[in-house]
Amino acid sequence: MTNVLWLQGGACSGNTMSFLNAEEPTVCDLIADFGIKVLWHPSLGLELGKDLQTLLWDCISGKIPLDILVFEGSVVNAPNGTGEWNRFADRAMKDWLLDLAKVAQFIVAVGDCATWGGIPAMSPNPSESEGLQFLKRQEGGFLGKDFVSQAGLPVINIPGCPAHPDWITQILVAIATGRIADIAFDELNRPQTFFNTYTQTGCTRNVHFAYKASTAEFGQRKGCLFYDLGCRGPMTHSSCNRILWNRVSSKTRAGMPCLGCTEPEFPFFDLKPGTVFKTQTVMGVPKELPPGVNKKDYALLTMVAKDAAPPWAEEDFFTV
Amino acid sequence: MTIQSLDISPVGRVEGDLDVRVDIEHGRVVNAWTHAELFRGFEVILRGKDPQAGLIVTPRICGICGGSHLTSASWALDTAWETEVPRNAILARNLGQIVETIQSIPRYFYGLFAIDLTNKKYRHSRYYDEAVKRFAAFTGKSYELGITISAKPVEIYALLGGQWPHSSYMVPGGVMCAPTLTDITRAWALLEYFRTNWLEPVWLGCSLERYEQIQTYDDFREWLDEDRNHRDSDLGFYWRMGLDIGLDRYGAGVGKYVTWGYLAHEDKYQKPTIEGRNAAMIMKSGVYDSFADTHVLMDQSFTRENTTHSWYDEGTEDIHPSDRTTKPTANNTKDFDNAYSWASAVLHKDFGRLETGPLARQLVAGGQHGESWQHYDPFILDVFKRMGGASIHVRQLARVHEIVKLYRQAEHCLREFKLNDPWYIKPTEKDGKGWGATEAARGSLSHWVEIEGGKIKNYQVIAPGTWNIGPRDGEGIRGPIEEALIGTPIYDSSDPVEVGHVARSFDSCLVCTVHAHDAKTGEELARFRTV
Repeated sequence: MTNVLWLQGGACSGNTMSFLNAEEPTVCDLIADFGIKVLWHPSLGLELGKDLQTLLWDCISGKIPLDILVFEGSVVNAPNGTGEWNRFADRAMKDWLLDLAKVAQFIVAVGDCATWGGIPAMSPNPSESEGLQFLKRQEGGFLGKDFVSQAGLPVINIPGCPAHPDWITQILVAIATGRIADIAFDELNRPQTFFNTYTQTGCTRNVHFAYKASTAEFGQRKGCLFYDLGCRGPMTHSSCNRILWNRVSSKTRAGMPCLGCTEPEFPFFDLKPGTVFKTQTVMGVPKELPPGVNKKDYALLTMVAKDAAPPWAEEDFFTV
Repeated sequence: MTIQSLDISPVGRVEGDLDVRVDIEHGRVVNAWTHAELFRGFEVILRGKDPQAGLIVTPRICGICGGSHLTSASWALDTAWETEVPRNAILARNLGQIVETIQSIPRYFYGLFAIDLTNKKYRHSRYYDEAVKRFAAFTGKSYELGITISAKPVEIYALLGGQWPHSSYMVPGGVMCAPTLTDITRAWALLEYFRTNWLEPVWLGCSLERYEQIQTYDDFREWLDEDRNHRDSDLGFYWRMGLDIGLDRYGAGVGKYVTWGYLAHEDKYQKPTIEGRNAAMIMKSGVYDSFADTHVLMDQSFTRENTTHSWYDEGTEDIHPSDRTTKPTANNTKDFDNAYSWASAVLHKDFGRLETGPLARQLVAGGQHGESWQHYDPFILDVFKRMGGASIHVRQLARVHEIVKLYRQAEHCLREFKLNDPWYIKPTEKDGKGWGATEAARGSLSHWVEIEGGKIKNYQVIAPGTWNIGPRDGEGIRGPIEEALIGTPIYDSSDPVEVGHVARSFDSCLVCTVHAHDAKTGEELARFRTV
């Protein structure tokens, strides 16, 4: 039996809602077939008030073993480091978190707010929010750079706004079935199995990317969203287009630019005027290129690609 | 008999952190205070940002009704930029809003509400064993099916927007997507799957057509007695058990109700304006005053806010949301005589405190006001009158009653799409003021936006929770949930499940309680507000 306690800080419940969309396994399967016991969850837990407070103290005292602590939402430190702007069960949430982090075997940060601080930590970060072990790309966060949980691992980061349900369920199952040691993590403590490839990997618009055929405006059935509409698919690590969302699609397949939400810089450029759904360019060339591509080679490549592009690359492609 | 004060922190299974204090005398609640306990500061974040930042940021106010925030955010920009929105795009926005709410109904009913029917308090009810079989968390037969199948409707959202939650596919001027035959066919199939695997056999025990014949309280009782499948469906079973355990006997509230109306008519709102909105909505706006039994239209200009009992230093006057100067107090200590919540008190300038949500929508739907073509449905209003007003039970019935009509609206959208017509008309960005609104599953949601010099000057949100969870107003009048708690029987003060029932019957969404505050200087920042 693997005990899971799920808490929320500066959260919107988006990751919870995403988690509830899980299939193979469903949330109920997790419990019935994988021996996971949800001690409490803000949207699903039975206890309220004093009963819940007792349960939390029992986890802290070791009376109830805490195998996995899942945290959703940012760690709120306002005002002035007290955390009083996010009170839960009669205490500042950050105080609960500090106590529970000392006893948890594994800690899983779910979603951007818990991993890097996310939207609440966007400039000027009024709630003094941070992630569990990072603030944006900077290591440290709430628990500190050197923190490891009882099982000897740093916080496992599952970013995304929200995180994909499969990323959450598969990590929980990996821990519950003793497979977590097989999983490699990247420099941001993200499981590589989900975050080694790019969001563009598997995008149905790849061929348009290759021929530099652009989607000039929304609501069209052709082109790539990278050149004009600010799509971050080529620069973002995720398996979105390999495993799809809600079993059916992805943002880029549906015609929405990727916002890069699995990366610590999300939302990019702090959404300053002129940066939303618009590619940032210098002399017509995108400021940011796919990782590992240098500007000179890129210019050459696109020139050739444009010349080689067949006429159909500029026509409606995904027709009715 | 002395008064016992009970502090419940947290209530749980409401979205966000809700704490409640109740005073109990002779086993009943005689006074109540609700306080919202989370502050994130979205208003500060949005100020000075790109005009379209709200399309990305506001869905993240709330992951439960993110599509509703997106709907409001895009209509707000449409009115500010004076865009033209093609017919297809109106339908595609409506469909997103509809399937998000359809998803929410089983997810809320089984996940957040019905599991309390398995509380030990009810072990003597003759329905108890069956309730455990159906509704027990994670293992109940209906719980498991309901939670799992609730993921299906939002697959339709993902066909339009790429994913749910948190897509930003609605933009001023239309939508980003251009669905094809494949998308529309799959969406139909998903709707049908939802209908044939849960909605008809498990939830209703009958066809949609049979359920739609129910127009009055008597019709409903007749339906219940007509067939074993009706009685034994989850709806029939819940209705009978609720009466048995007295859910119809408490949780009344303020007796006055509000809805903005929603689902823009695809032919009547292609040139969206703030003034033209009321006459263009399929589901009409309105205020229902049950004491006078009157229906009138609702307008954004009637909204007022009061912060006498909230953690702000802004005087004691009622002001329009766009006139607020958000000045929070750094010290958010609970003081029940003064300030005790991040929520403000929202009022109607003439009617005072109003309840919002499915019950409000359905009571308004029974009114004769508005346009002759707008949706009309007398059922819940009749139930309300016959059962002596609101209660937990009537509120729940209204919540689940909407699923069939929303299903029909979803069918309408799918039928009406003309795949080769435009989905987007590129607008010209400009400065100005805009307002957009919709009805999230749990009630009235609206966004006010002001754009100046090509960036957001002021962005404000009033969410369902702002109406329902608010503290006392300037005159000391309780907010809707506080009022609904009065008279609640408390069987066991160490497990006040009844308080949970009342709070959850509003399907409250607290994750939106955010206000502007610069911790370093305490000076006024933006005026974007949500609760």
